[in-house]
Formats: sequence, structure tokens, C-alpha cells
Amino acid sequence: MALGKKQMALLYHNLVRADHFDKMMMNRIMQGKLLGFYHPGDGAMAAGVGASTFLGENDILNPHHRAHGMGYHVGRGTDIGRYLAEHTGKVDGCCGGRSSFHWSFPEQKVYGASGFIGWHFCPVVGWGWASKQKGEQMVLMASGDGSYGQGAAHEAMLFAMNWKLPIVFFCENNGMAIHSTAADMHPMPDISSLAQGYGMPAVVVDGQDVFAVAETVIAARKHALAGKGPTFVEAKTLRLREHDVGTPDLARAEPREAKYLEALKQRDPVVLATRRVLDEKVLTQKQIDQIYQEAKEEVARVEQFADDSPVAQPSIEELQAGVYA
Amino acid sequence: MSETRELPLVEAIQEAYRLEMERDQSVIMVGQDIAGGIFPHTKGLVEQFGTDRIVDTPLAEIGMYGTAFGAAMEGYRPIVDFMFAGFFLNAASPILAQTAQFRFIHGSQMSLPMVITGACGAGMRLGNEHAMLVHNMIAQVPGIKVCMPSTPYDAKGLMLAAIRDPNPVAFIWHLGTMMDRGPVPEGDYEVPLGVAEVKREGSDVTLVANGFQYKNAVAVADKLAGDISVEIVDPRSISPLDIDTILRSLEKTNRLVIVDESWDSRSTASQIAAEVVDVGFDLLDAPVKRVCIPDIPLPGGHMEPYVAPNPDAIEAAVRDVCR
Ligand SMILES: Cc1ncc(C[n+]2csc(CCOP(=O)(O)OP(=O)(O)O)c2C)c(N)n1
Ligand SMILES: [Mg+2]
Repeated sequence: MALGKKQMALLYHNLVRADHFDKMMMNRIMQGKLLGFYHPGDGAMAAGVGASTFLGENDILNPHHRAHGMGYHVGRGTDIGRYLAEHTGKVDGCCGGRSSFHWSFPEQKVYGASGFIGWHFCPVVGWGWASKQKGEQMVLMASGDGSYGQGAAHEAMLFAMNWKLPIVFFCENNGMAIHSTAADMHPMPDISSLAQGYGMPAVVVDGQDVFAVAETVIAARKHALAGKGPTFVEAKTLRLREHDVGTPDLARAEPREAKYLEALKQRDPVVLATRRVLDEKVLTQKQIDQIYQEAKEEVARVEQFADDSPVAQPSIEELQAGVYA
Repeated sequence: MSETRELPLVEAIQEAYRLEMERDQSVIMVGQDIAGGIFPHTKGLVEQFGTDRIVDTPLAEIGMYGTAFGAAMEGYRPIVDFMFAGFFLNAASPILAQTAQFRFIHGSQMSLPMVITGACGAGMRLGNEHAMLVHNMIAQVPGIKVCMPSTPYDAKGLMLAAIRDPNPVAFIWHLGTMMDRGPVPEGDYEVPLGVAEVKREGSDVTLVANGFQYKNAVAVADKLAGDISVEIVDPRSISPLDIDTILRSLEKTNRLVIVDESWDSRSTASQIAAEVVDVGFDLLDAPVKRVCIPDIPLPGGHMEPYVAPNPDAIEAAVRDVCR
């Protein structure tokens, strides 16, 4: 299903924004202006944007941990100001400053996050079950190649296929999990080949191509909403940088090759998308310049909002009051 | 003798690994990204011991733990590294329900010599899962020994004892102690499991603390010196717990403050308090005070410094029992 020009323009806009926000997060962690850690999405922001920009408002979205879900948050339209304020421990953070990197926008059905990779394979079953009961909604559950090592991934696929749940298993395969290569950790080159054992339809898509990802997920979503069950979508992407900012960039125990990383840079999704929107006359250079200008201004606004917000240091009593409903 | 040689705690752990892996071919390590190394304690091991003994696994805690669990029955002495200790919870069933009870339920016919390890602790503002201390969760279940070092010396000695122990031993270490330097003798020595140590002599109050909290205890003892004389007891092992050393200290001080970086309820701190009240009631001149994490999930953000035990809270408790 071909995308219309309006859809392409929106995807492009979101991709540029997501790319700017990812770079903002990288800069901030290096400047000591972000709590905890940051897992950069640099060079791999297309998959999340493509997968989430055209979800329905009742759909449940579980962002991937890489780039702390930024591409997905932008696609969904969650409040990046509150997201950043959370990452900086401020009162206006989306979790009141309690969580550092966990996000939660329950009103938009981006329920939450966990430091446990693969945690979502458990609740995704209930998200899918409830979505099926209610109808008119589905689940986009994103995670990485590494996460499919978790046994719970297989339980989730079993339930999803047995019960024909409206779930898209969206896997960003960047070939790495910290220092481990996907080639070492998985017997098959395509993670999506796991779906075969469950009879689940599986698609491999170029994760650097924001438009191709969007088209694929739109189709998988339609399949899910038609009651036909889950789809496994594997977006082949890459990791340009170290796992999290500041740690050595190794494959097993060796530094990753500079030549290899240089080659990855040729697949920059923003460059690819820019060429496409110009070639197909979706946008003019002037409009693109405008999008970049607006993205810069948006970054500045978001940072201002987070920086102006007071540090969250509620009393023990206030915190205790938040434990039980 | 190079008695004065100092090492950071992570290197002391690594030295124990190297010593024991050189001495005993049955010792293997299993974990995620241990060849590359997430924390420095496993860096360089794969070069020396190869990938048959430094075993990197997929991102799958049950399979990873299972490698160690099964291999232990087959005569290996595995060290299984969960990276962040909280990740052990993904393998909680095989650890707490099966491993802990395996020997006993099967008629005490076999032993499972393995080390379950991981780093954790408040202070890095990483949020609840990465920070959560799990020593009490594991210690709740009989069948697994649990220890947590406070100093590089203890880290090496406890690790050597843990690897050699015929039982599963959880060796939990605190991220806040990772780069702490201290004297570490070269060569072989053990710090016995289940034996506490009086780390600082004092006469007014007994302060029990370990891991990162040991440092906070020292800071408070230094600050109060001249005013209140603090004796610091480092339990080193949580299970089995050496209550006798604490009681002996109380014979001198008659006052007790316990620091435990864990939730207050059902903690090692409450266990020590209960045992002391049971068998040492007559030694007490003041109520026993516990400095723990209140019963709320450990928040990240800017809240760790005051939600987790800290020098101010410890000092207040010490002053309280010494009034
Ligand atoms: C349960 C659990 N085990 C291990 C980790 C440590 N860890 C954090 S990210 C990561 C790799 C994730 O790889 P992948 O799913 O491919 O995502 P990527 O980081 O490559 O985007 C690992 C092993 C964790 N956070 N949680
Ligand atoms: Mg990956």
C-alpha cells in the first residue's frame, strides 16, 4: 500500500524531530545534564518513527528501549518536555521525577517501561487479549533482537497465535546486544524466522527506510484489526555507536571495526529520506529547511521546559502515599 | 611481602576469579557480555581462559542460569554473573524454588557448588530495577548462602570462599564500592562465609553495616569521634548470619543501630533486631534502631540520596540510641 504525500511528509517531519531529540539526549548525557544513562539511537531512528506514526489512538504502544523509545514517542505524540523532565528528575516529569528513564503516558496507552529487557513479553499478552475483546484496537510491541532471547518472548508468541491476538511483534534488529552480536546469539540471521514455528506471518523490512517501515506496519495493523492475528515485523537496522554513552564499543571483547562503522553511516535514515522526499517532490528544499529550523526550536523549548522545572524531591510521606491506590 | 598493595574492589574480585580458575579447571563463568565486560571485574578473563570457560550467553536469564545450574550437577563449579543483581529475578524460580531446595529435598545426596553474582545499589540514579538490592530476597530462602563485601580485601577473600563452598552462594556487590581501593594481599586467602568482623572498635554504640553502607557508617563514626565512640560490625555474610559477633560487641556498647540498604520490613536489619531481642535482651540499654529503605519502591531521579540509608539518617539513629 503506497503512502500518500501527506503521510510521507509527516513521517519525514517526525524523523527529523526524533533525530534532533536523540542528539539532544546524547549531548545532555555527555554534558552531565541527564540522569542515569542513555542508549543512543543515532542512525537508527527511522524504525520507531515509521512503526508508530500511524497508530490509532486506542492502540497500545510499547516503545523499544533504544533511544529510550524516542522515535516511538515522537510518532505517538507524547509530551517530550515531560519525558525530558523525567530524565532529569524534575517535578514536571511524566512520572513526577521518580523514574529517571522510565516513561509513562497512560492516557495515550504508552503504559510504561522497565529496566528488564523483554519485560513487555508478559503484559503484551493481556494487552492483546483486551484489545481483541474490545475490538478496534491493537498493540505495537517494539523491542530489539537481543530481547528475543527471553523465554517469555516465546510464551507471548504462543498466546498471540493461539488466540489470534491483534499484536505486531516489532523487532528492531541492529545486530547487537551490548557487546554480543546477533550472529553469535541467534542461530538464524532473521529473528523473524522464530515466528514460523507458530505459523505467524513474518515480514522483514529495511529499518533505515522510514516509509517502508510505515507501510509494513500499516498493513500488519490492518491484518490485526481484521481479526487475523499477530504479525512479526523485523526492521533491519544498525547501531552506529556504543551500547550506552560512555561504555566501550565492543563486539565480544574486540573494538568494533572503524571501517564497518563508517559503512553503516552511509545508511543514515535521514539522508535516505531526504533524498526520497526531494526526488518524489513530496517536499521542497525550502520546506525541509523549515522543518529543520522548527526541530531546533522545539529542542530548545523542550530543554527550557525541563530545565525550568524544579527538582523533584518529595518527602518520604508523600512518596509513601503513592505506593497504593 | 607487598602487604600495602592496594586494588579497587572490582580488581580484587577479578583476582579471586583468576586465582581459582587457574587452580581449579572445573571453575567456569557464565553471563551476558562478560567477555567484553560490562563492569571491569570480568575484563580480560576471556583472553586467559578462552570461551569454553568464560561463557557468554544470549539475553536469556533462565538459559544462562540453567547453564550454571545443570553444569554444577555435572561436576563444574560455575560462577553465574547477572550483571545487575536484580536481573536474577528473571531466573527467580530456578534459583529460589529449585536451586535453594534441591539438595535437601533430594535427600542431601548432592551439592551444587556455584556462585550467583551481580552488582546493585542506590547512588547511580539508574532507577529501581538496576539499583535494587536483592540480598534479602535470596536470604529469605534457606539453601543459598548470601554475602556482600565492604572492602577489596573482603571481596577477594569472600569470593574465594564462595567459589570453594560446596553450596550455592550469592555474592552481591554494591556499585558504590566498585572503585574503592584498599589493601589486598597477593595470593590465596579466604574470608570465611558466615563470619562477621569488628571493623572499628568503639564503646558507646554498635553500628552494623556492610557494602556501600559500611562507608557511610565509617563517615558517621569519624564525624562523631570524640563525642560518641562507635563500634562498627560488618556482617559480611547475611546468610548464615553471625549473630554472636554482634552480641559480643553489645556486651561492650549496649546500644545497637543496624544499617541495611534494603526495604525495612523483613530485612536483615529486622532479623538482627529480632535475634538480639530474643537472646540478648539483657544487653540492651536502648531500643534497637534500623536504618533502611522505607517500604516504598526505590525511586530513581534525585530521590535516592535521601530514600536510601545515608549518613544523616545513620547519625540521627546513633544519636537517638545514645541520648
Ligand atoms: C533482563 C535483562 N537482562 C540484561 C539486561 C542488560 N541489557 C540491557 S540492554 C541489553 C541488550 C539489548 O539488546 P537488544 O534487545 O538487541 O536492544 P539494543 O540495545 O540492541 O537496541 C542488555 C543485555 C537487562 N537490561 N535486562
Ligand atoms: Mg540489538
